[in-house]
Amino acid sequence: MSRLSAGGLIDRQRPLSFTFDGKAYSGFEGDTLASALVANDVRLVGRSFKYHRARGILTAGSEEPNALVTLRTGAHAEPNTRATTVSLFDGLEASSQNRWPSLRYDLLAVNQLASPIFVAGFYYKTFMWPAKFWEKVYEPLIRRAAGLGKLSMLPDPSEYDREHAFCDLLVIGGGAAGLAAALTAGRAGLRVMLADEDARPGGRLLSERQEIDSMSAVQWVAQVLAELASLPNVRVLSRTGVFGVYDDEYVAVERVSDHLVAPLPGQPRQRLWKIVSRRAILATGAIERPLVFGGNDLPGVMTASAVSTYVNRYAAVPGQRAVVFTASDSGWSTARDLAAAGASVVLVDHREDEPALAAELRTRGVEILSGAIVTDVHGVPVRKVDVRLADGSRRTLRADLVAMGGGWNPAIGLGSNMGAKPVWSESQQTFLLDETPPGLVPAGAAAGRFSLAQALVDGAAKGTDAVADATGRAVPPPSFRAADEAASTAPLWHVPGARTKCFVDFQNDVTASDVQLAAREGFVSIEHMKRYTTLGMATDQGKTSQLNGHALLAAATDRTIGAAGTIMSRAPYQPVAIGVLAGHHREESFRPVRRTASHDWAAEQGATFVDAGQWKRAQWFSRPGEASWLETVNREVTMTRRGVGICDVSTLGKIDVHGPDAALLLDRLYINMFSTLAVGKARYGVMLREDGIVMDDGTTTRFAEDSFFVTTTTVNAARVMQHIDYARQVLWPELDVQATSVTEQWATYAVAGPRSREMLQAAFPDLDVSNDALPFMGAAKFRWQGFEARIYRLSFSGELAYEVSVPATLGDKLVRHLFAAGRSYDAVPYGTEALGVMRIEKGHAAGNELNGQTTAADLGMGRMMSKKKDFIGRAMAARRGLADPSRPALVGLRPVDRTRHLRGGGHLLAPGAAPLPQNDEGFVTSAAWSPTLDHSIALGLLVNGAQRHGERIVIHDPVRGGDIQAEVCNPIFVDPEGVRVRA
Amino acid sequence: MPEHLTIQERDDIALASVMARKSMSAAKIGTALGMSLLDRPAACGSGAVTFIGTGPGTWLAFHDGTAPDFAADLTHRLAGLASVSDQSSGYVVLRLAGEGARKLLQRGAAIDFHSASFSSGSVATTVIAHIGVVIRQVDDGPTYDLATFRSFAGSLREWIDHAAAALAF
Repeated sequence: MSRLSAGGLIDRQRPLSFTFDGKAYSGFEGDTLASALVANDVRLVGRSFKYHRARGILTAGSEEPNALVTLRTGAHAEPNTRATTVSLFDGLEASSQNRWPSLRYDLLAVNQLASPIFVAGFYYKTFMWPAKFWEKVYEPLIRRAAGLGKLSMLPDPSEYDREHAFCDLLVIGGGAAGLAAALTAGRAGLRVMLADEDARPGGRLLSERQEIDSMSAVQWVAQVLAELASLPNVRVLSRTGVFGVYDDEYVAVERVSDHLVAPLPGQPRQRLWKIVSRRAILATGAIERPLVFGGNDLPGVMTASAVSTYVNRYAAVPGQRAVVFTASDSGWSTARDLAAAGASVVLVDHREDEPALAAELRTRGVEILSGAIVTDVHGVPVRKVDVRLADGSRRTLRADLVAMGGGWNPAIGLGSNMGAKPVWSESQQTFLLDETPPGLVPAGAAAGRFSLAQALVDGAAKGTDAVADATGRAVPPPSFRAADEAASTAPLWHVPGARTKCFVDFQNDVTASDVQLAAREGFVSIEHMKRYTTLGMATDQGKTSQLNGHALLAAATDRTIGAAGTIMSRAPYQPVAIGVLAGHHREESFRPVRRTASHDWAAEQGATFVDAGQWKRAQWFSRPGEASWLETVNREVTMTRRGVGICDVSTLGKIDVHGPDAALLLDRLYINMFSTLAVGKARYGVMLREDGIVMDDGTTTRFAEDSFFVTTTTVNAARVMQHIDYARQVLWPELDVQATSVTEQWATYAVAGPRSREMLQAAFPDLDVSNDALPFMGAAKFRWQGFEARIYRLSFSGELAYEVSVPATLGDKLVRHLFAAGRSYDAVPYGTEALGVMRIEKGHAAGNELNGQTTAADLGMGRMMSKKKDFIGRAMAARRGLADPSRPALVGLRPVDRTRHLRGGGHLLAPGAAPLPQNDEGFVTSAAWSPTLDHSIALGLLVNGAQRHGERIVIHDPVRGGDIQAEVCNPIFVDPEGVRVRA
Repeated sequence: MPEHLTIQERDDIALASVMARKSMSAAKIGTALGMSLLDRPAACGSGAVTFIGTGPGTWLAFHDGTAPDFAADLTHRLAGLASVSDQSSGYVVLRLAGEGARKLLQRGAAIDFHSASFSSGSVATTVIAHIGVVIRQVDDGPTYDLATFRSFAGSLREWIDHAAAALAF
C-alpha cells in the first residue's frame, strides 16, 4: 500500500471494496478507481491499441489516454471508461481491456517485435492489394489484434433523462477561475449555472497545496461552494461535463448515478442538459503535456500534475523513488509534494535557471539536475532512468516513478466547436482562443493565465463583465489573496538522443518518428498528419498529445508551431454514451405513436395493427380457426360485400377551410371545381404539386357557403395542411380564408355493404338515411349523445356506404354502439388490408399509384382537370413529357391462368419481348387476391394503357422468379357501372 | 424529497380553435366576446372562457365545463370576425400542479419556465418528446394546462411517467 496515513480528500472511515481483473482491493470514499489502484500499487492497467504495450495510469483527469477499463459487467458493462473519472463505489468491478489471455501475459504484444511495419499509415500501405482480401482477411485480423473495449451486445438497461436550462451565465469548470466568476455573478443576482465534470468542484485547487485568503485552497473551495449553494439564483452541477457548443446552446451530460453501485428506483444513469445562456465562461483549466522521451509510455511514468493529485488529493503516493522531469515550474511543486510524502526525489529540468522553490527542495533532500534531460526510461514498470547531464555526461538513476511536466495546454476544445481556429501565443508558448462562439470567453488557465492569483483575478473580471452585460451595472470584482506562484515553462517538444520509442499519442501508439515519417511522406498539413498517423483520435481526442505532435510536425517541416497550426475540436469534447442522446426515445418510445379513439376496442377484437405513418391502424381482425391473414381478409371483404362491414377511417387528414374565399382557394388547390359544390354535398378532388404531379386526393364537403371540410390521405395529412397554409399565407395572402386541422376532433367509421343503410337506420332511429334524404355524395349533421355528429354518403369500397363521424371522445362509444346495432346484420369489422383489397377491386388509386411520378391523366382522371379556372400544377402538367398520351396509365391486370398470383413490382413486357430496360412498358403497382372474383387481380401503369384493354402482357418478376401471362383490362373489376354505391 | 406533482386530465372542458378573418383585429374579436383579447402567446379570459394565443391571429379557446355547443356559439358570436372549429375532442388537456410540474415541464420543453420568464397567463406552443403541445400557466402555484392532440396522449403519458419517475433526482 502506498496510502499515506493522513491527509487527502478521502474518508478513511468509509472503506470501499472493489475488484480489478477479478482481484479484490479496497479504497476509500472520495477515491477514483485510478487513485485506489495507485494506492494499491497496481501499476499495469491496460495494453495499448496497436502494439499491445503495457500501460499504466498517465493522468488524474478526464484527459486520460491509457487507463481505459471496462466498468461493471453484463449488460451494464461500460467499455473504455477512464479509471481517472470513475468515482469509487463499494462493489465496483472493473477489468482491463485489449489483452489476451491476461493483462500481464499478452500474446499479442508480439506486435511490438513487428513494430517496424506497424508505422504510421501501415493499414494503407500493407493492405492495398489485393482489394478483395481486405474485407475477408485483413480487416478482421486487424480488428482482433488492435482495439480497445468490447460492447456487451446486450440492450442497455439504464434509464436516461433530459433537462433544459436557461441562465444569464454558464460557467464551465469549477476551478479557481470558475468559482471566482460564479461567485461574482451570483452575488450580483445573475442566474448562474456552474457545471463541473468532477465529482467535487475545485479543479486544481484540490490537487495543489495553495492558500487563498489565508486558508487552505480546499477550505476556500468549500466556503465558496457553501455561499453559492445559499444563493437561489445559482445552480452548481457536479459530475456534469459540457461536451459541445452549438448555435445558442451548450450541451452537457450529468452523470447522475454512475458513482453508485446501482441507481435508486427511478434514478436515471445520466441526464442530457441543453443549456441556453446569455454568456458563458470557459474555465476548463489546462492540461499538462507529457514530455517526449524514450519509454515515456511505460507504467510508472505519469504527468507531474497527476502525481501531485494522487499525493495531495488522494493521499496515494505512486512511487517511492521518483525522478521528476520537467520543463515547467509546476514540476518543482510536484517534487516538493513527493518529498513531503516521504519519497526520494531527483529533479531533472532542461532549463539552466532554477525557480525560487529550489532552496526549499534542497532542504527537503531533493537532488536537482538543471540543464539535464531524461533520454530513456526502462522497465515494466519503471526501474531505471537514463539522464544526460548539463555537461553531456550520462547517468542512470534507479527509480520506480517518473513524473513529467512538459508545460500546460489551455483546455480550449469547446471554444473551437463553432469553427474558430486557436492561435499560437508566442509569449505563453501555447495555442489560445482568439475568436470564440458568441457570448463565450475563456478565463484563468484556459485563457493562458496559469498562476493561481492570475486565475482568480481573471475569473472575477470575466464574472464582472457578465454582470455588466446582463444588468448594465458595474460591480466591483471581489478580490482574493493568493500567491502569484512561479508558473513559467520553456517547452521541450522532443527530447533528443532517445534510443527507444518516444510516444506522442499514447492512446493511438503514435511515436515521434511516426510524425516525422508523415512529414517525409508529404502529410505536412496538421489535418492530413492527424488522419495519416491517427494522432489525436479516439476517446481522448489527443488532449495530452496534440500539441507535442503538432510541434514535431512543425519542426520536421521547418515551420514555426504557429505557422503549422493546430486542429479544431469538434463536439463531443468528452466521450458521450449514445443512450443519453436518445434519452426516453428508444424501443417502443423511439417515436410517438398515434392511436385512434377505438384503438382499445380494436385490440379487444383481436386486431393486428400496422403502422401508417405514426398511426397504429387495425390491419385485420383474425378469428379463431383462421389459418392465415389471407383467410381473415377474404372473410372481411366477402362479409362486407354481402352484408355490412365497419372500418375505422379516423386517421384520414381532416381540415376545416373557412372564410368568404374558401371556395376560391379550393378551386385553386384542386384540379376540379369546388365553388359549384352545393351545401350538404361532398365531392372527390385531386390536387397537384406545383410541378404537375398528383399530390393527394380526398373528398371535400360543403357545410355552409363559407365552410368546407377537406379530407386527405392518412400519410399526406400534414403535408396538405402545410400546402394549404402556404397557399393562403404566401401565394394569396389577399384571400380571406382560414384553415385548421381537425383530424383529431373527429372519430370516423366507414359503414359499407348492401345492408349498411338498414343497419344505420337501426343504429340511429331518429336519422333519415333513405336514398332521398341522403343520396350518394350527400352529407348531413345530426346529434348523437348530445353532441354534433356527421354522416356522409361516401364509398371507397364501391358498396352502398356511409361514413359516420362523432367527436373523438365519443369514438369508442360509437364503435361499440354500431356493432351492437350491427349484430343482427352480422356486421364485421374490417382492417386496412380488406380496405385495400376492395379499393383495388374498384380500381381506386391510392398511395402506390399516387407515387410522386404520376399525373392525373396517368390515373385516368385527366378529364377532371378543369379548363375553366387556374389551379396549382396546371401549367406544369401541360409540359410535353407530362401530357404525352403514351405515358404509362392505370390499367387492370388479371392472370390468364386464374390460379396464378400476381405480385406488386413486376415489370410489364410485350409477349416475346426480351426482358431488357428498353422493352419495359410499365409495372404492377398494387396486387391483391380478390375474394369477390376468386382470382388474383392487380393495378398497373402501362404505356398507352387506356387503349390496350383486352391485350395480353407478360409480368416479368426476375427477383422472385417466374413470368406470368396477364390480360390488360378495365381497372374497375367490381361493379364497373357504379350501381351499388347509388343503391 | 420529491417535489409535489399532481396530474389530472381535464375532461370537463370544451375547446375551439379561433382564427381571425382577414383584417380582423384581436381587439374587434375581443369586443364581440366582451373581453380584452391579446394577439400574442398569452391567456386572456372572461368568466368560464379563456383564449390562449397559439399563432398570429389564432387562439385556442377554452371553456370550463362541458359545453357541446361552445364552438357553435362562438361561430355565431364571431360571424364575419373569425372562423371557428370545434376542438373539444381534438386535444387532451392535462392539468399539472405543484412545484414538480414546473420541473417536469422544464425537462420536457426547451422553454424557460423560470417565474421571471413564464408566469401565470404565459403560453407556449412547443414540443415535448417530439409531440406538439400547448402549455399555459394557470396560476403561480404553479399550475399548468398542457394540451396535446388526442391521438398522441398515450405517448405523452409514457414520457410523463418516465420523466416523473426521475423527478426526485
